[in-house]
Amino acid sequence: MGQYAVRRFLYLLMVLLVVSAITFFIMHQIPGGPFSTEKKLNPTVLQNLNQKYHLDDPLPTQYADYMVDIFIPRVTSQEKVFSVTDDYLVNINLPLVDDAALRWINFGPSYKSPTLSVNDIVRDHLPVSAQLGVLALLVAMIIGIPLGILAALRKNTTVDYISMGTAILGVSVPVIVLGPTLKYIFAVELGWVPTSGWGDFDQMILPAFALGFAQSALLARLTRASLLQVLNEDYIRTAYAKGLRQRRVVIVHAMKNAMIPVMTIIGPLFAALITGTFVTERVFGIPGLGSYFVTSITNRDYSVIMGTTLIFAFFIVVANFLVDLTYAWLDPRIRLS
Amino acid sequence: MHSRFKSVLVVCALIVAVLGSSIGLTSAQDIKVLHTAYLPGDVILDPSLATWNNEIQIINQTYPGLTTFDENTVEIQPGLATDWSVSDDGLTYTFNLMHDVPWVTYDASAGEVVQIMDESGAPRVVTAQDVVYGVTRTFDPATGSQYAGVLAPWIVGGEAALAGEATELGVAAVDDYTLTFTSPKAASFLPMIYGMWMSRPEPQWAIEEYGDAWTEAGSYPSYGAFALKEWEHDVQVTLVKNPFWPATETLPEPKLDEVVFTYLEEPAMLAAYEAGELDWIPTIPLSDLPRLQAQYPDDLHIGPDTCTYYYGFNTEIAPTDNVHMRRALSMAIDRATIVQITAGGQIPAGFFTRPDVAAGPSQEDYPDLAIHSDVDGAKAELQAYLDETGQTLEDIPSITLMHNTSSAHATIAQAVQQMWKDTLGIDVQISAQDAQTYNETLRRDAPNVWRLGWCYDYPDANSFINDVYRTKGPDSNNHTGWGTDEFYALLDEAGVTEDVAARTELYAQAEYMLVNESAAIAPIYYYTSQQMTKPSVERSYAVNRIERLDKWDIAQ
Repeated sequence: MGQYAVRRFLYLLMVLLVVSAITFFIMHQIPGGPFSTEKKLNPTVLQNLNQKYHLDDPLPTQYADYMVDIFIPRVTSQEKVFSVTDDYLVNINLPLVDDAALRWINFGPSYKSPTLSVNDIVRDHLPVSAQLGVLALLVAMIIGIPLGILAALRKNTTVDYISMGTAILGVSVPVIVLGPTLKYIFAVELGWVPTSGWGDFDQMILPAFALGFAQSALLARLTRASLLQVLNEDYIRTAYAKGLRQRRVVIVHAMKNAMIPVMTIIGPLFAALITGTFVTERVFGIPGLGSYFVTSITNRDYSVIMGTTLIFAFFIVVANFLVDLTYAWLDPRIRLS
Repeated sequence: MHSRFKSVLVVCALIVAVLGSSIGLTSAQDIKVLHTAYLPGDVILDPSLATWNNEIQIINQTYPGLTTFDENTVEIQPGLATDWSVSDDGLTYTFNLMHDVPWVTYDASAGEVVQIMDESGAPRVVTAQDVVYGVTRTFDPATGSQYAGVLAPWIVGGEAALAGEATELGVAAVDDYTLTFTSPKAASFLPMIYGMWMSRPEPQWAIEEYGDAWTEAGSYPSYGAFALKEWEHDVQVTLVKNPFWPATETLPEPKLDEVVFTYLEEPAMLAAYEAGELDWIPTIPLSDLPRLQAQYPDDLHIGPDTCTYYYGFNTEIAPTDNVHMRRALSMAIDRATIVQITAGGQIPAGFFTRPDVAAGPSQEDYPDLAIHSDVDGAKAELQAYLDETGQTLEDIPSITLMHNTSSAHATIAQAVQQMWKDTLGIDVQISAQDAQTYNETLRRDAPNVWRLGWCYDYPDANSFINDVYRTKGPDSNNHTGWGTDEFYALLDEAGVTEDVAARTELYAQAEYMLVNESAAIAPIYYYTSQQMTKPSVERSYAVNRIERLDKWDIAQ
């Protein structure tokens, strides 16, 4: 297991390196740059800005510098004055040595908001997205999985059709339609909850539901299909033959195996939800990380593009790792080696 | 099963509790708080780095400029400088600053705005040296100020300082409250330029103490009518009234106690406004305009904006290298129909420069100089083109019309395409690119016709026609390749002329060359602003869209 974890960690670093290299070189291939605005800048100003952010260095040099800032921990004196170019996510004051700190992971300054570092943006907005993502995933699982089970057990009955009808509704009504509709009914007309914002529980209800409902449809359909397949297995017939009740057969014997494909989806879904969902956040005015994935590209805010992409990649890899761990628990025949 | 039922009960109870508490809480408002919204995209509160309206609106309240202008007439007025004089050669301006304006900051633990003390315990006040520091910092290459480029031509040593050369910058403190700016060339609008946000006093001690974090709430010093209370990045900015601001006639004591800006997309803004959460929204989704006009006629206000929408022509490639072709295309654009399509109360444009800026000519006053939509005129120009080139309609080289990706631009482009087809029988190809790619395309390889908008930096005709068309080439904003010595001479003369009427006349002549005689560009419409304000808010509508929140009030 320990060896497995080490291997997965090395695998994580490799994925991040490949993702960073691809993103870095592709984003520099898109025409334009962070300072090619509609109003042309004074050429000297443009030159100063490119120099300030090292955008005039050769690309491989920029990439190498960037990777060093992110991956290589360094020991320096603790900065007295905050500088956006010198902002590390991990700052550990070293014991025994005076005024020395271990500093690690610096995504650099944002070019669009020059008084902020990418780490500032992540610290401000990732927790919000994570809260929304966790809530939405809970909603999705609470609605989706029971709906799927119900549909599978009552296959080809009215219950099945209603459940799957709801699921199809969830898949086909995107958040951009569902969100404003819910908002109009519950916030504008009825005034039960605020229209937008984040922080209070009443601000979270609508977005969590809007986002979770669409995902629940996916889970419901997957649970149904997967459970139906498992219910035809020999060992289920054996369980029934032993005289077990249906509830016990389904919950204890069938569900565990049926959850394997569901878990496979939930992992990346979780990573995608907690790192920010552009549409939901925009519709409900939630200050999450989601919009930075999109605006950073239209703004050519290179460091923010790199930061958001790498963070997303990190969560995907970690989520997949957790999924692998649950496989072993759900199906003892799967070994992590 | 039981436990699940219980947890459902708990969730229901929670929801009821939360709803109940939010209904129950109706706190008495004894302070005046204006709730409004900004489009997402965090502000920059560093005067040297700010670039756009949302930022300047806050900076003008926290760091008022040496000069300011009337929000209705754009007439220049005293700001932090009580008065100023200019030397006989028109190059040196001497500003007298207000005395004893204290630097303040919001102290969250005390819950109030407090004065900032220096090492000796005396209050820090705004001095001429602070302005010199601010301007010097703006020109420091390490600062990376974008608007330093706008100030550079108007201050001795500006370009050299920007390039990092050790040079004497043309700004000096004569004493604590007397300041001089020296320009390499005279211009009548210089007091307006020196009042812009990149030449404001800046707190050297705070910038050195806090580094890049100096504009954060808690450390942000300011001296204007409002101070920064809270700033959650890209979420919310709260301004609070500064009781230490010595009000003047032009910069009065604010009547509002607080202003809260929440970052929201347009539809979310409108929903929050209709739900009563916001008192003012500075923009609306245009698709909702007809409904809002019917539903809230008193709240809605359509007013001026700072920009002009126009099509430019590449005068260096066929067939738009021919003036008759360009005039034909420009005249064939039915501007009245376009503004019906855009449906936001936009005004058809006959000049590039907006009429509502200082020295901006209006098409009513100069009807013969402005370009007009004219079907017969367009056909005659097309015939002149065909006669001159010996071509037939079929020989005309293909024309490409380009815009940056946006459904609004696409709709207009399709309408213009149809107009050109119907009036002139010319087919054009439309293509679109994302904004950043588009900017590069215009710079390097401009198509026959392209769409752009221009918004002024300061409300003077100079910030329109001169700042865009006084130069040409890849480093400029002029992608037409057009420009004549005669045209430049007019602009230069208008720049140094003091009399507004005479300046207007000169700019009208220059506009005639640009949009009519040579038709290097085809102005289409003047943008408008659409805002919603609750009737309880007493406000003005600033022509330049940088609202004077210090003059607003809420009726109680």
